[in-house]
Amino acid sequence: MSGRVVALDPDRTLVRAAQADPLQFDPLYRKYLAQVYNLAYHELGDHHEAEDVTERTFLLALGGLPRFQEAAPEDAGPEASTFRVWLFRIARNVIANDRRTQRRRPTAALEAAAGVAAPDDVEGGAIARSEASAAWAAVRRLPGDRRRAVVLRFVNDLSTGEIAGILERSEGAVRVLLHRALRTVARELSHDDDHARSGRPGAGDPGAR
Amino acid sequence: MILQSANLEAIEVEALQTDRYLEALLAAVERRAADVPADATVDPTLRRAARRLRDELVRTHPSFRFEERLARRLADAAVRMRLATAAGGEAEAALIPFPTPLLADPMLAAELANPELAALLGVREAASPTGVEGAAGVMAADPVVASPTTAASTPRSDALTSPLRPAGPRPLLVGGAVTSAALSLAGAAFVAWRLTRGAPADPMARAVRAARAAREAATATTTRLTAAGLSATVGPVPTRAGVHTLNANLRRGRPA
Repeated sequence: MSGRVVALDPDRTLVRAAQADPLQFDPLYRKYLAQVYNLAYHELGDHHEAEDVTERTFLLALGGLPRFQEAAPEDAGPEASTFRVWLFRIARNVIANDRRTQRRRPTAALEAAAGVAAPDDVEGGAIARSEASAAWAAVRRLPGDRRRAVVLRFVNDLSTGEIAGILERSEGAVRVLLHRALRTVARELSHDDDHARSGRPGAGDPGAR
Repeated sequence: MILQSANLEAIEVEALQTDRYLEALLAAVERRAADVPADATVDPTLRRAARRLRDELVRTHPSFRFEERLARRLADAAVRMRLATAAGGEAEAALIPFPTPLLADPMLAAELANPELAALLGVREAASPTGVEGAAGVMAADPVVASPTTAASTPRSDALTSPLRPAGPRPLLVGGAVTSAALSLAGAAFVAWRLTRGAPADPMARAVRAARAAREAATATTTRLTAAGLSATVGPVPTRAGVHTLNANLRRGRPA
């Protein structure tokens, strides 16, 4: 095996307990439920499909856990959880299966942008929702792995090494993916801001908020 | 060529700077710091975009109802896995981690048509060239049909050589038991079929039947004579086949 065993995998104790007794899988499930769900939701844009993918991901992980071995690629950081990388790779594949069977590209769900602004600030809420929608839409327009890298980095707070493990690329390649994705998003957002400024003066200025 | 290489290096350097900036930006959120790190080497538009993504890409959580329902389902599946392990014997379970019956669930088996996913879960690659994905998935999850040579022969070497790929011997122990059971069933079916058939009418079969009847008759006679205390003095008893031969010889005028 080319990988090395990570010295301090934060999930080692939980994983070993779950391997010894499948009923002990619950702590791992609770720990990663939201992260897996977030990845699915940002990929598929639909709550029901995200729940479906999350369910299948955890059932598959539970079924495959007895054969899981803790190991990590050379370029994973010392804090990388190999279980988390394994779980997200399962999720990524289940999402790909889902896409393959659905054969459709879901539209952006605007409900994701709700709740960004304070509920009593109607005007601010409207502006924030609009800007969040713009950011969300910009991310959704990114090509596959760039979008996944952005979601894993910004929503799931994964390290570059972990993302590299999940996407099966080198850490350098993931850094370039993220950099290019940020450039694209920045270009799109500034374009949207220009449009907003021309239609509503001062709306795109960050200092105005 | 040199220019291309220089461009590649330049973007890698930029990517590294952006990555460091993102690391600091996201760490600032974790420690609830009010300040945002300023890095003059990173393009201001990129910094602005990163801050917006950090603030505006919302983290969602599934409903409590979904969470608890899935937790119950996982617990039920865990109990089934425990029972399967207990039924398979503790020693074998410790030596050979079989793919669990959970993966044979039709809903999950369909997922295993994806070869990378199958490899990740330590199940035989189930991609079917004919496209019969569901059935192939179920077969793949079945330890009986898992082959130790499948993993080596698969073209997806990247997935299989991955250090995250669960490793371990392929289970084959159950195969012998099932083959034996299948042979037993075939044997029982043959015997039943043979018994229901009528007696064959060809000359060879008649001869065999006659020889068997003669042997049985001889055995019965010997037993009777032994019971009467005459076994030592009585010679071989002519069998029915022997009588037939004798009669035939007599008819042809040959001596007995």
